[in-house]
Amino acid sequence: MARLDQLDVMSRKILAGKMKGERRSKRRGQSVEFADYRNYVIGDDLRFIDWNIYGRLDKLFLKLFLEEEDLSLYILADVSKSCDYGDPSKAMYIKKVAAALGYIGLVNYNRVSIVAMAEGIVAETGAMRGRKRVAQMIDFVSQLQPTGASHFTESCRRFALAHRQKGVCVILSDFFIKEGFEDGLRYVAGGKYDLFAVQVLSPQEINPDLQGDLKLRDIEDNDMAEVSITQPLIKQYKSNLNAYCLALKDYLTRRGATYLFSSTAVPFDTLVMNYLRERGLLG
Amino acid sequence: MSGLPTFLNPLTALLAAGMVVPPLLLLYFLKLRRREQQVASTLLWRKAIVDLQVNAPFQRLRRNLLLLLQLLLLLLLCLALARPVVHYTPSPGKNTVILIDHSASMSAVETFGAANTSRLEEAKRQARNLVDAMGKDDRAMVISCDDSAQIELPFTTDPQRLKTAINAIEPTDRASRLKTAYKLADAQTAFNPEQLRSGEMDLPNVYLFSDGRVLDAGELRLRGNLFFTPIGSSDLPNVAVVALSAKRNYERPAEVQAFARLANYGPDPVEADVELRVNGEVRGEATGELGCFLYPERWDQAQRDNYQKIPGHLPHKNSVTFPKIEIFSAAVISVRQIPRGPDALAADDIAYVVVPPPKSLSVLLVTDGDYFVEKAINSMSLKHPDILSPAAYEDDPKLGHPITYDVIIFDRYQPRWLPPVGNFMHFGSIPDGLPVVAVKEQGQNVMLSRPGVLDWERDHPILRGLMLNRLFINEAIKFQIPLPAAVQVLMQGYKGPLMVLCRQDRCTHLLVGFDVVNQSDWPMRLSFPVFMHNALEFLALGADMDVRLSYAPGSTPRIPRVNLQQAGVPDRIRQIKLDGPMGRKTLTVSEEGGDFVLPALDKVGVYSLDPPIPQFEKIAVSLLDANESNLMPQTLAPGGIGQTATGRGKAPWELWWWIIAAAGLPLLMIEWWIYTRRMHL
Repeated sequence: MARLDQLDVMSRKILAGKMKGERRSKRRGQSVEFADYRNYVIGDDLRFIDWNIYGRLDKLFLKLFLEEEDLSLYILADVSKSCDYGDPSKAMYIKKVAAALGYIGLVNYNRVSIVAMAEGIVAETGAMRGRKRVAQMIDFVSQLQPTGASHFTESCRRFALAHRQKGVCVILSDFFIKEGFEDGLRYVAGGKYDLFAVQVLSPQEINPDLQGDLKLRDIEDNDMAEVSITQPLIKQYKSNLNAYCLALKDYLTRRGATYLFSSTAVPFDTLVMNYLRERGLLG
Repeated sequence: MSGLPTFLNPLTALLAAGMVVPPLLLLYFLKLRRREQQVASTLLWRKAIVDLQVNAPFQRLRRNLLLLLQLLLLLLLCLALARPVVHYTPSPGKNTVILIDHSASMSAVETFGAANTSRLEEAKRQARNLVDAMGKDDRAMVISCDDSAQIELPFTTDPQRLKTAINAIEPTDRASRLKTAYKLADAQTAFNPEQLRSGEMDLPNVYLFSDGRVLDAGELRLRGNLFFTPIGSSDLPNVAVVALSAKRNYERPAEVQAFARLANYGPDPVEADVELRVNGEVRGEATGELGCFLYPERWDQAQRDNYQKIPGHLPHKNSVTFPKIEIFSAAVISVRQIPRGPDALAADDIAYVVVPPPKSLSVLLVTDGDYFVEKAINSMSLKHPDILSPAAYEDDPKLGHPITYDVIIFDRYQPRWLPPVGNFMHFGSIPDGLPVVAVKEQGQNVMLSRPGVLDWERDHPILRGLMLNRLFINEAIKFQIPLPAAVQVLMQGYKGPLMVLCRQDRCTHLLVGFDVVNQSDWPMRLSFPVFMHNALEFLALGADMDVRLSYAPGSTPRIPRVNLQQAGVPDRIRQIKLDGPMGRKTLTVSEEGGDFVLPALDKVGVYSLDPPIPQFEKIAVSLLDANESNLMPQTLAPGGIGQTATGRGKAPWELWWWIIAAAGLPLLMIEWWIYTRRMHL
């Protein structure tokens, strides 16, 4: 907790908050902190003309000042059945990370919303601000249980419709979406959100240790796949996994989003304290 | 090693394969029972399966690879169960002696493998196989053996020469004796210079290829290591002529009686017809009921008795007599058994005897007058019985010729001289110089008074069938026999021998120790003329009248110099031609004295000499050997020396453990590795 207190959610984009928070908004407003210059046009307030530059360049420039605003932090946690897998469990991992991010956002007076998605949005905290909401937030997260299949596209659509305020959006999921992740991410990537997608997989999914002739049952939809585990099959699976992750990363990157891969074997605090800071989500 | 492997248990292997292969196939082609495994998502697994199916042929092969390996392993195990064996000829050794029996029995024809061939050919074939198995520096020699032994090739390392020597061995009709062959083998290897130089003292390996029917098994000695390869099977049919005799009737010399005996050495009773030919012309046949019905010689009494209980069985009949064959000249009588079924050995199917021209005995009676003896002689069909007085006998120079008379009878007269060759009867006198002497006292013969007949040789041809116990003898000369071995007592009186037979050099003397006319009542008895007939007949065996029996194969007949001289050899003729089954040979007779020995007559048949030599114009050679005609091979080495090799001197090498060790285990490990490592091609 003490270590999380030192972090704050960062946004690479200049996002307008509804209230004046502790975040230096990238919107240029009226504050004491100089931000930038622009050319003077008729009607601007003469008090903000920088006379030093006029004296040097014999041109009129207007000073701009940063305005401190609050940041909306949306945490989308995948609570579909597919996350109830692995050792350590992906669901538990996602909840921990969501709780950590939620705490950081709350203690820094950001507007935090935690959305649980599975078959659509199954639960949501609503916007919360302030430290006093931490317990509520943690309580909410701890009660989340993996359930249902994953309808990622629908969940993202509903989220985008319900949350028009710009902000930082963190999706915590395994992104094993049979319908494809593109349609869902389209709603949240490349637009008003500063999107961070954290793909969480268990070690058993990264390096499956299966043997023999198996009937693989999909935990979400009970789909059966009969396989005879062989070295080539494992190799092909890993190749496909790698390609899938790369495709996801590529899709997100093209749309200005950030992709981060993590295994549940990595301690969640390492993910939060190190990896998310490196990627610019936290600072 | 040669030849494909054979299988000792093929049915076991087939049964095992039938039991395990179908279940294995069934297991593989039945739907696999898969274990259920929960995963987060089958998204990527399905994609992996689809992507992997791009290499479908290899995957199908990979899937079936384990099946193929397991099938192969099962088949190998089944193959091992079948116990494949390969017969190979082990290397014979550094010094090898190859003995090949080429006696008469080795000419028997039977089936070896797929071919009908003689035992000798089979022996040669196996010997050649042995040569093929020789190592590069191994030495071998070839010895052929029958009743003698001959080195065909001394020690050599050249296999080609060995094979040539083996191939050159020809069959003979001789008997089989191994003593000489073993001695030869020992001698050759003991004095092999190569062995002495190298310091090797290894005993040689002696390989004997024979049917083992030898006559001297109890006398064999060998220092080497003997390996006996029995050749032949024990169920060959063979009927043989094992005895043949012929006899002229001395009363009617133109009549000849022939007697033949057959034997069956096959496994089953057979009927055999017998044919008699005189100079190639059929003169008698015994067929059907008159022929022979032969029980197998190998049957014991119980088997014979059991056979005789069979209704309609034929009794055992193994002899045939041809009683009256008129032969007015010299002739060759052949008796042949005509088999009604297969007969493995041809050499013993025929036998020969040579019948000289009929001739009446020429008898000389030297007497001062003896009514009964003269009457007895005159009653026989003799050529011309001559009667001389003792004085005339002593003065007649013609009597010096050795073949003037067949028998000279001295009646109560002790001759001062005797021809060097001849047959003599002495009544009441004993000439000097014989192994029988008269006991004398004061220069006079000691006489036994009323000696009485105690016993006589009832089986002797001279006294056969005679009753002499009531013969009255008033007095008889007392005999003394210093050399009993040279004398045969034919009639024994209570006080000493009364009639003796003795041979000395080329003379035969029948000594009757009493005056048959004046000192006995014998002439009054019926037995006297019979005795005279028998005595003349017996003594005439030394004369040129009797049938000459055949020689055994391999014999070397000795022709007396006297006979050669009669034919003008070598005075006028230096060479004799010998014709016969062995072809024509020209023999040179030495001018030096001594008898002439013919070369060994190896083959059965009739040989002739040109120019004809008296008593040897025709020479008959017949097998008449029960041991050679009995074709049942011996299973153990002759004389118990050495060990018996099975097959063709080949040892079976079982392959099953090789299959398991060399093929099965690696296969099992590969299959395990593939299964556990999930390898793919």
